[in-house]
Amino acid sequence: MIDLTVNFAGLKLKNPVFTASGTCGYADELADFMDVNQLGAFITKSITLHKRDGNSVPRVVETDSGMLNAIGLANIGVDKFIAEKIPLIRQYNTPFFVNIAGQTIEEYVAVAQKLANCEEIAGLELNISCPNVKKGGITFGTDPKLVSEITSAIKKNAGKKILMVKLTPSVTDISTIASAAIEAGANALSMINTFTAMVIDIETRQAVLANRTGGLSGPAIKPIAVYLTNKVYNEVAKPANIPILAGGGIKNASDAIEFIIAGATAVSIGTASFIYPDSAIKIIDGLKKYCQRHKIAKISELTGSLK
Amino acid sequence: MAETQFQKAIFTASVSYNKAIGKHFFNLRLELNGSAAEIFRKALPGQFTELDLSRLALPAEEQIPDELSECSQRQILLRRPFSFTNIEYSGSKVILEILYCVLGPATLRMKTLKPSDKINLIGPLGNGFKISSDKKLAILVAGGMGAPPLQHLAKELKDKCPGTETIVFAGAKNISQLPYYDIKLEKISQEPAFVLDEFAKHNVKALISTDDGSAGFKGFVTEMLKNWLKSKKPDSGKTIIYACGPEAMMSSAAAISSEFNIPCQVSLERLMACGTGLCQGCAVRYINKQTKETGYKLCCKDGPVFWADEVVW
Ligand SMILES: Cc1cc2nc3c(=O)[nH]c(=O)nc-3n(C[C@H](O)[C@H](O)[C@H](O)COP(=O)(O)OP(=O)(O)OC[C@H]3O[C@@H](n4cnc5c(N)ncnc54)[C@H](O)[C@@H]3O)c2cc1C
Ligand SMILES: Cc1cc2nc3c(=O)[nH]c(=O)nc-3n(C[C@H](O)[C@H](O)[C@H](O)COP(=O)(O)O)c2cc1C
Ligand code: FES
Repeated sequence: MIDLTVNFAGLKLKNPVFTASGTCGYADELADFMDVNQLGAFITKSITLHKRDGNSVPRVVETDSGMLNAIGLANIGVDKFIAEKIPLIRQYNTPFFVNIAGQTIEEYVAVAQKLANCEEIAGLELNISCPNVKKGGITFGTDPKLVSEITSAIKKNAGKKILMVKLTPSVTDISTIASAAIEAGANALSMINTFTAMVIDIETRQAVLANRTGGLSGPAIKPIAVYLTNKVYNEVAKPANIPILAGGGIKNASDAIEFIIAGATAVSIGTASFIYPDSAIKIIDGLKKYCQRHKIAKISELTGSLK
Repeated sequence: MAETQFQKAIFTASVSYNKAIGKHFFNLRLELNGSAAEIFRKALPGQFTELDLSRLALPAEEQIPDELSECSQRQILLRRPFSFTNIEYSGSKVILEILYCVLGPATLRMKTLKPSDKINLIGPLGNGFKISSDKKLAILVAGGMGAPPLQHLAKELKDKCPGTETIVFAGAKNISQLPYYDIKLEKISQEPAFVLDEFAKHNVKALISTDDGSAGFKGFVTEMLKNWLKSKKPDSGKTIIYACGPEAMMSSAAAISSEFNIPCQVSLERLMACGTGLCQGCAVRYINKQTKETGYKLCCKDGPVFWADEVVW
């Protein structure tokens, strides 16, 4: 028997596979294709204090082995989320993390307060790294002082929820940001969000996305994401004994294992679900097979095993 | 439109036919069996499927048109959405028919599919056209590559609404962009006639327009529609318009339908990353007719068919 369970910031997960925020809706969309209960954990689309319509279209465009998105945090708002989606979440026994976002620290805090009492939620993922909203978002995630301020403000208001901070790769030194988050009370790190990028239509000389820029995800970013995971693991997470949820371009179990060897305790599946909505389940299966082949009894032994 | 009508899933289909129609278009037939056949036999005109074309090889270099030679090198990641021109079932198997136009790296690869090749698909996705048998006249407006779901709809109307007369207004930039097998040029006139086999076989007469006048009326298909409505004055309560084509054409069809007070459904296109409601990429600006509230709906999940007066154009 292979033991796929992992301890993620005190939470025991049946396996280390998460769905990534914004790529799996609020779970009901995914439920047509797979048994959500088989996931290690689920992360919702970013939730903000007020409903957001999002950006104009085009919001997505394919690139070589990747895609750009500028959705603009379209979501139903925290009150509607609690009223309509929490009852759905209650049906699942898989732990749910709610990804939260905002324009100001007050907004983030208000969302966290409302969610702090929902017992259906295991934790919060703090999105301080969305490249597609003006104001807030990415600027929070690139300044260690702001990261520290916002993390501690939310920690104070998040009750007993696990607090995971999602890092942007668009910084000079990602470890500085990771340390700031941990010192301010983060229980886990999530990495990485998309890279700010652009596609130009050379016939019209216009940016393809209405927002002009978007976040690059998919296989194209994987090697950079693996490198950053290893860096943060060695420089920050391992010394502080804080788990990393890592991803970026994971398509199959081999990709996921690279991240685990680099230092991830768990992995997140994003863009791959657009192509095969049951990707996460296949990856869980593949992890088991890898462990069998390599005679690894517990998948957690693999974390940070890079030689 | 209504809630998604049927269960969707990931399936493998087997290619049974893939041949060129004229210079730019191809007809692909996919065979489905078992539970896939059970689910797809109920798919409605306007619903679509997402094909994984990323594993297909490119055609030989000499078969790649110059204008696609650079873009053909792009590594595809995402699936591609296609609607159906027809769904045929016999016994336990279903044949999905797709009409496609070669435009880029994925459709270029699609050309190489040959009988018994396997292809992965998700569907049926979205919501189809709504039909009601109390209409006397159904007008289909097909702009360029908007034709496929309207061919499927023509069949559905013939089968389900025998009391409804259906005619199609088919337009394109020029004659070679009209995605039909055999256009009977000699039959084109001011009055709808059996000009297009694809529609004639469902007893549907056609009027043709091209922007450059190379076939039929010279001008936009929507101008032709407007002229025709003006002169024929069909009973607006007993008439319905179904449009599919470029966004500008559908927007103009929407304006005409409201001017003549004729209800109109449009099948919209958006760049789609998933087709399954996961990415929120395919937003359609929407207005609630009663409350006047606006917001976004998803083309892939809430559409692609919408009532024209509920879309903010
Ligand atoms: C609901 C739906 C149904 C469709 N049904 C059909 C069909 O029956 N037959 C058919 O030939 N095509 C259909 N399409 C369009 C088809 O999906 C695209 O032509 C295809 O994805 C092109 O892929 P490619 O890699 O070959 O070219 P790409 O390089 O991806 O695209 C070629 C060109 O087409 C444009 N384009 C691609 N996809 C779309 C889109 N969704 N909306 C508007 N412009 C687009 C691109 O901007 C580019 O200029 C449908 C699209 C949707 C959303
Ligand atoms: C369409 C789309 C929407 C996303 N929305 C969010 C979001 O709302 N909040 C967030 O923190 N990350 C969001 N992300 C980022 C993903 O969660 C993930 O971090 C990123 O895509 C990298 O992983 P991947 O390559 O596996 O997709 C989104 C990504 C995509 C492609
Ligand atoms: S294409 Fe992804 S939500 Fe519609």
